[in-house]
Amino acid sequence: MAVRLLSKLSARPELRGVVNFSSAAAPATLSDFDVQHKTPVVRKQHLVPKAHYGGRHAVTMLPGGGIGPECMGYVRDIFKYIGAPIDFEIVDIDPNVDNDEDVKYAITTIKRNGVCLKGNIETKSEAAYVTSRNVALRNELDMYAYVMHCKSFPGITTRHKDIDIHIVRQNTEGEYAMLEHESVHGVIESMKVVTASNSERVARFAFEFAKKNNRKKVTTIHKANIMKLSDGLFLETSRRIAKEYPDIEHNDMIIDNCCMQLVSKPHQFDVMLMTNLYGSIVSNLVCGLMGGAGLHSGRNYGDHYAVFEPGTRNTGTAIAGKNIANPIAMINASVDMLEHLGHHFHANLIRAAVHKTINEDHIMTPDLGGTASSTDVIKAIIDNIDLYMKNKVSFH
Amino acid sequence: MSLLTRNVCRTLMQGSYLVHANKGVHTTSVNADKNQSSSTEGRIKCTLIPGDGVGPELVYSVQEVFQAADIPVDFESFFFSEVNPTLSAPLEDVVNSIARNKCCIKGILATPDFSHTGELQTLNMKLRNALDLYANVVHVKSLPNVKSRHRDVDCIIIREQTEGEYSALEHESVPGVVECLKIITAAKSERIAKFAFDYAVKMGRKKVTAVHKANIMKLGDGLFLRSCEEMAKLYPRLQFEKMIVDNASMQMVSNPNQFDVMVTPNLYGNIVDNLASGLVGGAGVVAGASYSAECAVFEQGARHIFSGAVGKNIANPTAMLLCSANLLAHVNLHPYSRMIKNAINKVLTDGKVRTKDLGGQSTTKDFTNAIIHCLTASPN
Repeated sequence: MAVRLLSKLSARPELRGVVNFSSAAAPATLSDFDVQHKTPVVRKQHLVPKAHYGGRHAVTMLPGGGIGPECMGYVRDIFKYIGAPIDFEIVDIDPNVDNDEDVKYAITTIKRNGVCLKGNIETKSEAAYVTSRNVALRNELDMYAYVMHCKSFPGITTRHKDIDIHIVRQNTEGEYAMLEHESVHGVIESMKVVTASNSERVARFAFEFAKKNNRKKVTTIHKANIMKLSDGLFLETSRRIAKEYPDIEHNDMIIDNCCMQLVSKPHQFDVMLMTNLYGSIVSNLVCGLMGGAGLHSGRNYGDHYAVFEPGTRNTGTAIAGKNIANPIAMINASVDMLEHLGHHFHANLIRAAVHKTINEDHIMTPDLGGTASSTDVIKAIIDNIDLYMKNKVSFH
Repeated sequence: MSLLTRNVCRTLMQGSYLVHANKGVHTTSVNADKNQSSSTEGRIKCTLIPGDGVGPELVYSVQEVFQAADIPVDFESFFFSEVNPTLSAPLEDVVNSIARNKCCIKGILATPDFSHTGELQTLNMKLRNALDLYANVVHVKSLPNVKSRHRDVDCIIIREQTEGEYSALEHESVPGVVECLKIITAAKSERIAKFAFDYAVKMGRKKVTAVHKANIMKLGDGLFLRSCEEMAKLYPRLQFEKMIVDNASMQMVSNPNQFDVMVTPNLYGNIVDNLASGLVGGAGVVAGASYSAECAVFEQGARHIFSGAVGKNIANPTAMLLCSANLLAHVNLHPYSRMIKNAINKVLTDGKVRTKDLGGQSTTKDFTNAIIHCLTASPN
């Protein structure tokens, strides 16, 4: 009997106290103990069960400011129409209040739901003690990797065709460490923090991501010729990790050169890996290359949580309420979310309908050179969904 | 010895569930490669288990209503019974069907209070364990025109139903001394507590009450209570309170309006469910549901087979119809769900057609027909 029990024990690896970390993100070699005691920069999270009941997922929705609320409304219309098994928990954040109550609550809801769909949250206050809410959210949830998939829409006229780039960006440290001080009067220092552990996590994330998505090349973007220690560490780490993935080609490029190459020969890039500020610049640049802020969506990943948002983090306050905002970015974010949760049928259905609306029917908002209003675009998408459902097009 | 072996293995299995449950916690790339869609081209498939006693009559009533309203749901029916093992469909078939369809509507299964084979687990428990249907939700709500002592009762009782006293671990260590093991695990307690709070958030409720007996079972129920307290910290906008089960029963019959959402371990939940159901009109009018991560099984809130009424056409189909309405809401067919709920409300408010348990003389069939007649209202 004892033998039988033992064999049962050894057959179940999870019985031996090894905690499963998501393979894509955490260094696979670290044990639970190591994570707790040897990685001071990694925020420790108490894991709670997922909000996933009867096949339905609860998801936090942060509409944010500007065009956020209207776009969220469109997403909910579409979800309702196709019956996506998602229950949204909506948390509004008042941009005018100085305290962080709402933001704290929003973070708590993400911790218990695990997944969030978010617009851009405004931080109106410019007081030094009020941190940017978007940054606070990412730091608190330890979402160290940001991924943006930039793929050309064939129906939109741009200088370059068929661009297909994944941008992976370190999301929690670097220039966004928010450590600034005035050491002597008139001299302000802003610290850029690069740590080995976070660099390793994001590099590993990028290579795992490339492997999973059958990508061929990872390019590390840096400025190690000037910042020899900080960017040097980032570059060094990514080179070290690259050795573990012999199937994937790795090269590096200096940020200024990278920007030039992007606007002249963007097709040479596949997966791009970079630190925080460069990521912000490059992702906006690439969005500009292929049609502007209203198209692409971004994904923030930590070890335990995922937040989906429009790719360029602009609120679009100027065009709010005018019915001309481009809803595609938010819809793409919601498609990413459905895919992340495993609802591939619904995700593919919406993606196909969006694709048809933009590329075949050419129904676009003014920012893409069209004449349609936001609601026209949504109506066209829903009509296309209807068409696919009636014709029983299979998306598996 | 063999008994001991079996029990040790069972406890081990329980332990492994515990660790296994960790897999349900947050990690990114959760289901990235799993395909989850079930509701594809318009029509929903749903498993149907008529059950024992008056179950088949009630299920027939649901089917009639669905047919009359032209609801796009296809049933996959299984005869499933513990008291009639020869005719019963195999457990695996039923489990596979539910796992595939992700939703099920189920009558009550009779459970004899003795075991022919020496097996301690009932069929109901096997089904729950196989599908990991850990959370049972009973929504106790006063219905219009149903006479009862209390008005406007509206509380949701959430019960853990895979461990605790229902672990089916009983043995006679010395002749005349029987031990029954009650298992409480942190993982499952946390899971049910989180379910309760999430359900409260989803339903827009204000308060969650944990029902326990931690003053006597300091370790077992204590663990359950602590898990609830831990989880409550994640929900700062919900009120959390705790109540001992005996007091909770008294409060329930004297002042039920104070309760909003209740979360309980297994046995207490069973008792409180039935007690609260009795307050608002009995087993015939209270709907419930059981949830796992992937599937939902809709069944009556208070589980009685009502064998005395079999074939007499007097059972009240309200509970089963409410279950079906909840099912429709769950699969995003909200207009149909509202249509059925409105029809039930209208028939009860009119009060002309009432089954025997509500003081009338109408038959099951009359009631069903009355509901169908009221369905004509526009589905908004």
